[in-house]
Amino acid sequence: MNRLITTALVAGMLLPTLRAADKPAETPPPPAVKVGDIAPDFTLTDQNGNKVSLHDFKGKKNVALAFYIFAFTGG
Amino acid sequence: MQNFQQNLAKLEAADTQVLGISMDSPFSNKAWAQQINVTFPLLSDWGGDVTKQYGLYSPKYKAARRVNYLIDKDGKVVEMQLDSDAIDPTKTVEACEARKLNR
Repeated sequence: MNRLITTALVAGMLLPTLRAADKPAETPPPPAVKVGDIAPDFTLTDQNGNKVSLHDFKGKKNVALAFYIFAFTGG
Repeated sequence: MQNFQQNLAKLEAADTQVLGISMDSPFSNKAWAQQINVTFPLLSDWGGDVTKQYGLYSPKYKAARRVNYLIDKDGKVVEMQLDSDAIDPTKTVEACEARKLNR
């Protein structure tokens, strides 16, 4: 009986530690680029082989920049 | 990206260029764009340099997180939606239309 209580107590003490260890993986750090920042420029290749730069649109258009996880997924 | 394509006319009418971006290769993006009829650029951040610079690399997926930025004509970030909030582009569309009206 005593052993059972001890086991339960130890488990109870360990559980929050385990949870805390899990936490950083679940909540990724906030993005480096936030509202109010100047968006870092880039030049990348699109699906048709054209080079596209963020600065191409400066002074001309707003840019909706949509990061997605993988091609062939929803959203 | 399908959601952005559906709203493309509205976004273009509000002076907004849509750019998709991921760590896929241009070849994957080409096949996918054809499959889902996306007409705006899907940019290949092969290697993830830009994704990492923006602080969006997810070690869990070994890919970018899902994030929408709205960047104004001066190059400044004016809106950001993260993860599940970034699936529906309605907020981006509304923000673009509001900016157009305020000019």
